[in-house]
Amino acid sequence: MAPDTPNPSPEVLSLEQPVPPAKVSLLSATKAFATYKGIVEALQPVTMEVREGEFLVLVGPSGCGKSTLLNLIAGFEFPTGGMVLVDGKTVSGPGFDRMVMFQEHALFPWLNVIDNVIFGLKRKKRLSSSDRREVARYYLNLVHLGKFETAYIHELSGGMKQRVALARALAPNPRILLMDEPFGGLDALTRERLYGQAQEIFARTRKTIVFVTHNVREAACLGDRVLIFTSRPGRIKREITINLPRPRGFYDPNVSRFAGQILAELKTELAEEEGVESHESSSHGHPVLPVADYFLADGI
Amino acid sequence: MLIIFWLTAFELNLLPSYILPSPFMVGERLHELWVDGYFLPSLAASLRRMAAGFACSVCIGLMFGLAMGTNRMLNECLKSFFLGLQTLPTVAWVPISLLIFGLKERGIYFVIVMSSTPAIAISTADGIAGIPTLYLRAAQTLGTPPYAMGWRVIFPAALPRIVTGIKLGWTLGWHGAVSAELIKASLGLGFLLHMGRELNDMPQVIGIMIVTILFGVLLDRFLFGAIEKRIQRRWGLASNH
Repeated sequence: MAPDTPNPSPEVLSLEQPVPPAKVSLLSATKAFATYKGIVEALQPVTMEVREGEFLVLVGPSGCGKSTLLNLIAGFEFPTGGMVLVDGKTVSGPGFDRMVMFQEHALFPWLNVIDNVIFGLKRKKRLSSSDRREVARYYLNLVHLGKFETAYIHELSGGMKQRVALARALAPNPRILLMDEPFGGLDALTRERLYGQAQEIFARTRKTIVFVTHNVREAACLGDRVLIFTSRPGRIKREITINLPRPRGFYDPNVSRFAGQILAELKTELAEEEGVESHESSSHGHPVLPVADYFLADGI
Repeated sequence: MLIIFWLTAFELNLLPSYILPSPFMVGERLHELWVDGYFLPSLAASLRRMAAGFACSVCIGLMFGLAMGTNRMLNECLKSFFLGLQTLPTVAWVPISLLIFGLKERGIYFVIVMSSTPAIAISTADGIAGIPTLYLRAAQTLGTPPYAMGWRVIFPAALPRIVTGIKLGWTLGWHGAVSAELIKASLGLGFLLHMGRELNDMPQVIGIMIVTILFGVLLDRFLFGAIEKRIQRRWGLASNH
């Protein structure tokens, strides 16, 4: 350490320590779509923050606007109202700092495996082409696909494709990773193996991650914090912090406990929705026991 | 197989020999044309015209296709126009080319370009319009600047469809080239066909027809077909044998 560098005052340090700065923040962001039937509200005002290095999971029934929210952060879509900030700046479009991993692998079939990973490194002008190849190899090895670098995409299995997609997303070293049900289309066995690998990689690279899923166990296994969404129009219903040590096993009893808690929240949410509907439909018939009671009575 | 049928038909005298000559007569006539120094220059002339004309149509077709594929309004306007042009038989371009260019060489290029461009433009436009949004979004998030989008994503993603269009365009252009040569050239396969008709020389007519088919198929299979196969293998589109 250079002796003549002035030390920061202790006050500043103590101010910085307790809460890591918000990497992504939404300030009453809303999104509505115009369809031929009229305006559909996809997202009610959402205010939330994602802290630097945090793994945030968004859970909710399909159609709850969680993917829309991810698209807003990614910059593919823009909010109808409110603001979406990344590093304190309004999002004005897709950016190199926010890598997106899609539900479908989205790999380019005209490139082989390693060229797909290199694609994201083209932007880094300082790297020579052999440097890029080396970086791509490193990330392919990280997802245990080093042997497949010259394979074409259609020759890979579904799980391997998602791993290549993960390597491609990680290679440019983005600070933020946005994942939209990246493991959704895979079989259970492949998925479990990927959870292990993913946790290992995330622990090593320490990125800010926003992860969308409707799988409660996946949410409990991966997330530092889970936001539960209501459907149509979407808004945040509850926030659950998962303070379990990592790496977490997929069938760890503690993970199961949190998964059950998230599931219960989702079920009451669904039940409330159905309850409202059944009240409406039975306005002149027999009184109907609200479905919510059934779910709660089960004690899930 | 075909030749055996042909031979038996000839031997049985089903048709008079001035209508159905024997394969040997056809071969002999082609050989004569070769020796007389008509054949090679004619073939070369046709292929040269085709190469130049077709290169033009590929450029024009790709440009129109790109414009149509990226601009919905333009696509709406131009697509039916090109589809209409495509239904027009290639020979139908010959009279108008005669009126515009007279008996000049340029007229043949005109026919080739008008015959093959619509197919290329339409497939290019369809190919581009059919690119999944996912690829474009993935490329954007991977930091592809807008000016590089065309070269790195749009063109390769649409390539299978573009190659199909180019293949079709080649066939149509070849039709156009030979039709135009029938009427206005002093050299070329079409011209030899025309001469054969004038001289009542059936072996020459049939011989040149065979050569025309041969070269059309040859280039289609071995040039464009090979490119298409390569792309299909890479994309995994080819059916497994």
